[in-house]
Amino acid sequence: MYKIKRLLFLIILLPIWGLSQDCAIQLTGLILDKGTNIPLPYSNVYLEEQGLGAVSDSTGFFKFIQLCEGDYHLDISHIGCEPTSHFISISKDTFVQIYLNHHAELLDEVVIHGKSNDNSTQISSTVSRENIEQNSHKNLSDILESIVGVSSLKNGSGISKPVIHGLYGNRVAILNNGIQQSGQQWGNDHAPEIDPFIANHLSVIKGASALAYGSNSLGSVVLVETDKIRQDPHLHGSVNYSFHSNGLGNTLNTQLEKNGRWAAWRVSGTLKVQGDSKSPDYFLTNTGKKEGNIAIQLEKKISDYWHNSLYFSSFNTQIGVLRGSHIGNLTDLSDAIGKEEPFFTESNFSYEINAPRQKVHHHLVKLESKYFFDDHRILKFKYGGQLNNRQEFDIRRGNRSDIPALSLEQYSNFLELAYNQELENGGLVKTGLQFNLVDNTNNPETGILPLIPNYDGRTSSAYFIFQKEMGNLFYELGGRYDFKKWKVATISNSLPRIIERFTHNFHNYSFSTGIKYTFSEGLKTNLNAGYMLRAPEVNELYSSGLHQGVSGIEEGNRTLNSEKSIKVMASADWYFQKKLFIQALVYYQNIQDYIYLQPQNEFRLTIRGAFPVFLYEQTNAQLFGTDILLSYEPKENLKWLFKYSSVNGKDLTNNLALINIPANNLFTSFTWSFKDIQKLTQNSISINAKYVFEQQDILQEQDFLAPPDAYFLLGVTVGTNLQLNHSKIRLSLSIENLLNTTYRDYLNRLRYFADDTGMNVILNLNYSF
Amino acid sequence: MNTSKYKFLFILIPTFFILASCGDDDPVIPVEEEVITTLNYTLTPVSGGDVVVLTFQDLDGDGGNAPTISGGILSTNTIYQGSIELLNESEMPVEDITEEIRTEDLEHQFFFNSTVNGLSVTYSDTDPNGNPVGLTNSITTTDAASGTLTVILRHQPDKSASGVKEGDITNAGGETDIEVQFDINVQ
Repeated sequence: MYKIKRLLFLIILLPIWGLSQDCAIQLTGLILDKGTNIPLPYSNVYLEEQGLGAVSDSTGFFKFIQLCEGDYHLDISHIGCEPTSHFISISKDTFVQIYLNHHAELLDEVVIHGKSNDNSTQISSTVSRENIEQNSHKNLSDILESIVGVSSLKNGSGISKPVIHGLYGNRVAILNNGIQQSGQQWGNDHAPEIDPFIANHLSVIKGASALAYGSNSLGSVVLVETDKIRQDPHLHGSVNYSFHSNGLGNTLNTQLEKNGRWAAWRVSGTLKVQGDSKSPDYFLTNTGKKEGNIAIQLEKKISDYWHNSLYFSSFNTQIGVLRGSHIGNLTDLSDAIGKEEPFFTESNFSYEINAPRQKVHHHLVKLESKYFFDDHRILKFKYGGQLNNRQEFDIRRGNRSDIPALSLEQYSNFLELAYNQELENGGLVKTGLQFNLVDNTNNPETGILPLIPNYDGRTSSAYFIFQKEMGNLFYELGGRYDFKKWKVATISNSLPRIIERFTHNFHNYSFSTGIKYTFSEGLKTNLNAGYMLRAPEVNELYSSGLHQGVSGIEEGNRTLNSEKSIKVMASADWYFQKKLFIQALVYYQNIQDYIYLQPQNEFRLTIRGAFPVFLYEQTNAQLFGTDILLSYEPKENLKWLFKYSSVNGKDLTNNLALINIPANNLFTSFTWSFKDIQKLTQNSISINAKYVFEQQDILQEQDFLAPPDAYFLLGVTVGTNLQLNHSKIRLSLSIENLLNTTYRDYLNRLRYFADDTGMNVILNLNYSF
Repeated sequence: MNTSKYKFLFILIPTFFILASCGDDDPVIPVEEEVITTLNYTLTPVSGGDVVVLTFQDLDGDGGNAPTISGGILSTNTIYQGSIELLNESEMPVEDITEEIRTEDLEHQFFFNSTVNGLSVTYSDTDPNGNPVGLTNSITTTDAASGTLTVILRHQPDKSASGVKEGDITNAGGETDIEVQFDINVQ
């Protein structure tokens, strides 16, 4: 059966025999690990309404007898897993199959959504809700870093964007609830405007091609996804509070949901306040943050065949940028680089946010409608409207620090019509038409000539994917075509100021193919290849002016072509005797006409001195790397996790390393889960360590400062759960950078000016009912 | 169930947003009030003689046409009274930025770095805290020599840092608002 039956989510209700007897009903079930499908013995099952507990046997099986007809809530927990709750209405003997998240690190999109819906040869990894909640003091990109192969490009601890397989910004698409995030992705100091709390899970698709996801990606895609609202008529929700010592930060999130009579709804609200962070030796003055977000999700079934959902989210933030990182020219930069302690470092902690700072609002409305003609054919309609408003404030003369130095407003509209059909031979066809319209406007309030011009962009696209499963073999192939039109209006930088208009058209296409082969239960392999074009973005075509952050004049290049990428990826998943799991992935990507900023042999004289000039140019580049994940459980309550990722990026034409490529890194953790202490369950202690190598590929003349040394960070987490009658409290305490190590990270722009953050103690409290 | 009102919603919401975002208007050219296009450094010999004016002018701001810079010829063994004028000539009427600096003198200081042998610059003005600003100053020349004189204006320097009051920029910090270099010939 197709998606209609999926409403019951992870629970598959199967009547065993159809006789209904009052108060003599049996509820039996099987508990399995979501990541591996292995039964989980000795799991605790608690039937709230009856106050009854049971333990699954060695095959993961459990049983309740003599139940009356009615509605029940089942709470299931297992050592080392995220506990779950399920609602079931029973009127006859019932069998349920329940999936727990025992190997959270092995989750991917296919596991999360079920094979029939999202089966794909694309390789993905997922961060679960529990993980998001436990890391609520971090932003989206930092949470994604737990996925092997993902790093963050930062501008201090408050602003970061994901780097996947060495690519970031315009080259990685981020989908918020199925709608491509549309903001000012071009800026290295512009973080994606998404509250991770709105998501039930976050996924990274390490793709060779992102056919169905949009035209902006060169392979990899980040998915921020909400689950469907539970089919539970009662009000459920959670309150999550976290405090972190470094920056005296507070994060509060409340989420409520109910399958109401008229529609199912879910509301999530987040508040965040944080002051100056501290490196081991000094405060990082003006690195505070304030954030307030809300999301509302509505789901309405008009009939069994017609399902609709409406989603609204609003993200609002104000972030301070390290005061000492604000520089006027190259002399200032070289003065700042040598400093023991950054300029303008205050000796006291403060929540105050002054210039330089960023103020960003992002709102999204999404409407989705699915029509099921029958079990094999679905028509989907999707609309997403976004408004992005970004203001950046610099230190300015004459009381102008409250007037933004950059003020941009972007509207975007996305429409998609998609059609999926299962063929009689077992194949599945997914096709769609997409239309995207972006309107980007500079607010003249700045009193400064804009860095990027006003523009409007239209993209019309069509895609086609064919998938088929044949025994142990699953394969897919597909193609996509985009027609992109930019209409740009620039202001000249010579006098008199005049407005000029330009139009660019790009015809781009992509192809992708992949196979997945299951040799045995313990060995699965994946091979995928994609050819993809990416049209240059407006900043690459038309940037003009001084980029404060890098102390350089950036010039766009109107003659740029589309980048052409070929990416090949192979991965294998092994597991041995249900104890050792290994995931290994290797990839190679070749990008013809790779767009990058090339320093010119020219210094441009201004009244603030001479600035180096950077011009957008094209070269041929290659990226290759490896992601390795290892999980070993010598005993049921002991788990060792190991991750390694390496990336190598090279400009083939100039025979130079690409800049902003993450250094190779290692992560390892030991988790020891121990027995319940009365009502305290899921008790665990975990020690983790991260080692980041020195980025040695960069030559001295490629940067103002050589990449920092390798560093090692240690952390520890202690956690427990308190199961109450109808609710649950989860408590965890973690310490990051336990040794208060002084370090700088290559991908953090603030490394020119200051050390990274020191020790941080995080207390996390979660109440759910 | 009445489904027509839902269908209506599906058409209405996207249409609203698409209409709201359409437009082909000209971008508004910002009024660049903050820009400093011109620096005039007037040097008047104390005991009479020719007035020398060092000028840096970049009318269209960063980018566009290159700035024009004119240095000067100074006499040996002479004391000059120096006064700096800053203008924004890209706007009409021309805006006098000197006033702005004077109003915010606590937050500004000029620094003078010279490679001319025997040439020295001293401050002649102070802010309310008694620290130097540099809008007025004095230049003393000795023997014949040539080199460059760099005039730097720092915004929010740490005037209490060691050496800053004496005109040493090393520990000043802050952001550079101006950094221009003039060729100087003492003869």
